[in-house]
Amino acid sequence: MNKVLAEIDNSAAARPVLAVARAFADILSVDVEAVHVREDGERNARAAAEAAGIGLRSLARPVVEALAEAGRSPDVVAVVLGARRVRSGRRPAGHVVLELALSLPKPLVVVPPDARLRDGLRRILVPLNGGRTTAVALAETLMLASSQEIELVVLHVHDAGTIPLFSDQRQHEVESWGREFLRRHCPYPERVRLEVRIGSPGESVLQVADETSSDVIALGWSQDLSAGHAAVVRAVLERSPVPVLLVPVGAEHSFGPAGVDEELRYEHAVA
Amino acid sequence: MLESLSRKGFDIAVVSGTSVDNVDSQLLARPEGPGRLYLCLNRGSEVFAVGPEGPVLLARRTATAAEDEAMTAAARLAIERLEGRGLHAAIVAERLNRRKLDLIPEPEWADPPKSLIGELLGAVELRLQDCGLAGLADVAALARECALEAGLVDPRVTSDVKHVEIGLTDKSDSAHWIFEELALRGLGPGNVLIAGDEFGLVGGLAGSDSYLLVEEAAPATAFSVGVEPNGVPEGVVALGGGPAAFRGVLEDQLRRRKRGELPRSDGDPEWTLAIDGFDPILERAHEAVLTLADGRIGTSGSPLEHDRAASPRVLVSGVYAGEGATSHLLEAPRWSHLAGELDRDRLRRMLDLRSGLLFEESAARGEAGVRSVRFSSVSRPGTVALRAEGPRASLQTTRPLLLPGNRERARSGRLRTRDWVQVVAAHGGVAAAAHDRFRPGSGIRLERIGAYVADPETAPDPMWAVEALCAAEDAGFEQLLCDHRAAWGARWADADVRIDGDPELQRAVRLALFQLMGSARADGEMALGARGLTGPGYRGHVFWDTDVFVLPFLVATRPQAARSLLEYRIRHLSAARHEARQSGRAGARFPWESARSGRDVTPSHAHLHGENIPIRTGELEEHIVADVAWGAACYLDWTGDDEFRRGQGLTIFVETARYWASRVRLDEAGRAHIDGVIGPDEYHEDVDDNAFTNVMARWNLRRAAEAVAKDAPLELDQGERERWLALADALVDGYDPATGIYEQFAGFSELEPLVIEELAPRRPIAAELLLGPGRLRAAQVVKQTDALMLHHLVPDEVAPGSLVPNLRFYEPRTAHGSSLSPGIHAALFARAGMLPEALELLRLTSRIDLDDLTQTTAAGLHLAAMGSLWQALAFGFAGVRPAGDGLRLDPRLPRAWRALELTVRFRGSRVKVRVEHDALTVSADPPIRVLVGASKRGTPATSAGLRLERHGRSWRKVDP
Repeated sequence: MNKVLAEIDNSAAARPVLAVARAFADILSVDVEAVHVREDGERNARAAAEAAGIGLRSLARPVVEALAEAGRSPDVVAVVLGARRVRSGRRPAGHVVLELALSLPKPLVVVPPDARLRDGLRRILVPLNGGRTTAVALAETLMLASSQEIELVVLHVHDAGTIPLFSDQRQHEVESWGREFLRRHCPYPERVRLEVRIGSPGESVLQVADETSSDVIALGWSQDLSAGHAAVVRAVLERSPVPVLLVPVGAEHSFGPAGVDEELRYEHAVA
Repeated sequence: MLESLSRKGFDIAVVSGTSVDNVDSQLLARPEGPGRLYLCLNRGSEVFAVGPEGPVLLARRTATAAEDEAMTAAARLAIERLEGRGLHAAIVAERLNRRKLDLIPEPEWADPPKSLIGELLGAVELRLQDCGLAGLADVAALARECALEAGLVDPRVTSDVKHVEIGLTDKSDSAHWIFEELALRGLGPGNVLIAGDEFGLVGGLAGSDSYLLVEEAAPATAFSVGVEPNGVPEGVVALGGGPAAFRGVLEDQLRRRKRGELPRSDGDPEWTLAIDGFDPILERAHEAVLTLADGRIGTSGSPLEHDRAASPRVLVSGVYAGEGATSHLLEAPRWSHLAGELDRDRLRRMLDLRSGLLFEESAARGEAGVRSVRFSSVSRPGTVALRAEGPRASLQTTRPLLLPGNRERARSGRLRTRDWVQVVAAHGGVAAAAHDRFRPGSGIRLERIGAYVADPETAPDPMWAVEALCAAEDAGFEQLLCDHRAAWGARWADADVRIDGDPELQRAVRLALFQLMGSARADGEMALGARGLTGPGYRGHVFWDTDVFVLPFLVATRPQAARSLLEYRIRHLSAARHEARQSGRAGARFPWESARSGRDVTPSHAHLHGENIPIRTGELEEHIVADVAWGAACYLDWTGDDEFRRGQGLTIFVETARYWASRVRLDEAGRAHIDGVIGPDEYHEDVDDNAFTNVMARWNLRRAAEAVAKDAPLELDQGERERWLALADALVDGYDPATGIYEQFAGFSELEPLVIEELAPRRPIAAELLLGPGRLRAAQVVKQTDALMLHHLVPDEVAPGSLVPNLRFYEPRTAHGSSLSPGIHAALFARAGMLPEALELLRLTSRIDLDDLTQTTAAGLHLAAMGSLWQALAFGFAGVRPAGDGLRLDPRLPRAWRALELTVRFRGSRVKVRVEHDALTVSADPPIRVLVGASKRGTPATSAGLRLERHGRSWRKVDP
């Protein structure tokens, strides 16, 4: 049976990671397993796993390699791990997280140490800029939400380069623009709510996540953190108080059922 | 044969050098239509139409006495010179507009048949050579020389080998007439077959039928059934076979028509818009661009087969679902569909703008192709027709009508074997009926005819739709098609704009005019929303877009359609009066945004970009009152409609003037102010003395005073009129004579002097999203043409010479954040002679929907922008404006164009204007008075054409 893999360390961050992993697993109707690479003891990790009722498997070092190999297992549909050990830890995220994010071709859920799912997974925020990478995240999230009572909030942020040319009568223009935007970029526009903001995309994502009380922020990305790339991913990982679902373009696994219409996943993406 | 062809909708023109009695006695045709039979006779001098009662003269070139004398003199001179060379020739006939010289007046060659043309030629040439003449070409040249010497300006010299004719016309005149007439029938040259038997050279002279190959005939298919010993010109098909072959071609055409083959577009790129393939991102924008509308309903250009990215819909004019701010145009049942899933790679759609037909080639997955054509009849609004051919499986449909998206209040059934669907709104509704017929073809052929009946107050009985459908079916597809094409031909005859030198712009302009005309109706009242019938955007609500941006085009090309726009305002006058009273004012206060009831439906708030923001346009954007009056004035200026002037027009002027009179505030110094408004520049709200509002109010008061002076209604006393004039004079307008600039509103000059042209990454730009509303309010950034709009709408109300200073000041400060803005600036730049700037904005305006610049074209086309495109061409570049009972022209042609032509209707006259760099030609039927440039003196323009040449800054008439 497929599973969600929770990769926990021996810190206080383990507990929220396990909670989020359980929430995703419940939605996806898959198992959840915890893994841990022993570096500085394992009692906290074991206690957290036991408290969560999740089996824990120990892995041998080195850390990144071990976790990557575990994550690449074909029965793993998604990997959940902590952004950093403590609130004041590394930004945007610890090196393990970043290395796994860059290399693992699967959805990765990065959990801040003080994340708390208020009432399970109820609302997911999906920023959408009309590009292929963000469309991937939306498609995966739609799969996730397809049979659940999960509300999707799609966010588009205009920046100086993408501000529309015209806005004849604002109330009508925004409505027309929003409707068409969803038709273009969302396979099931009737199932999402659109929010539009103007400004810095990273800031806006965090702001809207807060305004809408979103439980998760889903971001598609190209697994490239070099200069000039993934600015929003960095900004959100750095400051998000809620888990961040990173969906790489070309992810091996889909949240949807086997044989999901590839066209449905990607036809709304702009090359 | 001819009657059969006519019954099947073919138009036929017979061109001959002989007379009507001769030809009619040979044809003996009495066609009943819908196709027409024309006889173009006497070598280009006469045209007859033949109907059930026989030939009726349509046109005749009548020679003047001087021309008659000159032709006779020319013929005598030619005979004399030929005699001098030793050749005896004779004037054998004085035919209409020509003199015929017999070059071989010998009994043996008295009446040679066509089959002996070769021998005849030999005999004639021998005779000529004996006299030292090289051949027929020499004789023709001599005849032409004589004609010019005799005083004929444009002699036509033709020959049939035996004769040489010196005349005023030839078959090319027939050809010109035919192609112009066919254009009026909605047919392009690509739809024409030209048949003859003498295209090639004969004796060194052009064959007589070659004269039919005029420039506009280039896309036509020409074929010869003659012997053609010297071959045929390039492009002519040498079929041979004589009369039998000719008959064979006609019979083949008739068979195809009887089989119900699909009509074809003539494919002229300046008249067609083709979209190849299927782009799921842009598809809905494409569907809006390909909308077919007839003034009653608008059908999106979605593919016939299903695709989830398509958004098929039919919208009904003037019928709204819902109430108030959330009311929207009712969606009607759909008719343009087939079963099956679309194969996106094999889709091609082409909109033929000339004839209002949408052609489509597509294939359902795994199937052979389906070809189709469909239209929404403008000659019978509310009637739609589709013909498709392809494999049986591809053409199967469960029903000819599909329920619309919102099917809550829809019901369906069958009556008299026809399917019907009725959709009921809170007020009114629509009923549609349709019927499919199949017949064998290559694959099979489907023919679907549908009829829509709508009413804004009461849902129509489905029986009415069924009856309308039966009537349409009785007429039949060919008749419907013929009438529809002819109706479009007539529209273009009154509205076309030709730009010689920019084919892309040409097509974009024609698309704009096509959609403007399609969305308007010419009867009853028309609530023309911002997107017309091309999409659900703006909910079908009516704004100043209609009165100021769309109406002028319709007034100048289809006055009755403009009248229906005004009728909407008139019918809701009581609501406007009520609104004025509610705000403690007099007269009529038209709403900023309206729908079915004519009351204001502007929402008070909107949730935008995460904030709840107040929408104050409904409360404060009052210039709409003067805009409505301006629309009425525009209608009067162009049509001279006395009944409207004395009746409803007067009422509009009086009620709007009363509103302004009650609206202004007088200060202690006696100056009049209008406080707390929004002008066209919506970035600045609740401003005082907005120049546009004040000057339009002033104009409104003065225009009303003028109107009542002429047609004073009984309840108006002289004191009220005088008060209007006094208030008009007292209204401040923000004009500074020192700078020549109108301050957009009181305090505008003290705002932060931001120049958006240098600040924004590009223009146009929705600057409120760039800078935020707070910053904008405090800055000199203007959304759209505001103070400058005065120079466009009421140029006589603004200070002379103030256009350029205001353009230089305001243009860099204008964000063009409204699609209504660039076209007006294009017009103003053209007026100011700043043509590169004008052209840039004109092109931008023309691409708003074609390139989906707003990413909202999917919600409907920007009709106001399209109207502004026409205004830029007509008022800007051509400089056409009413001037009393005459028309003023003050053209400026960009270097890149060779010519600009446009047609308008002015005071019942069809006026054609052709602008070239140094020449101007105006023809008018009936004649009108024309003033050119700054001239105060008018010159008559008639159907013969008034030609002027530019001399520096002035124009001088050129004598014919």
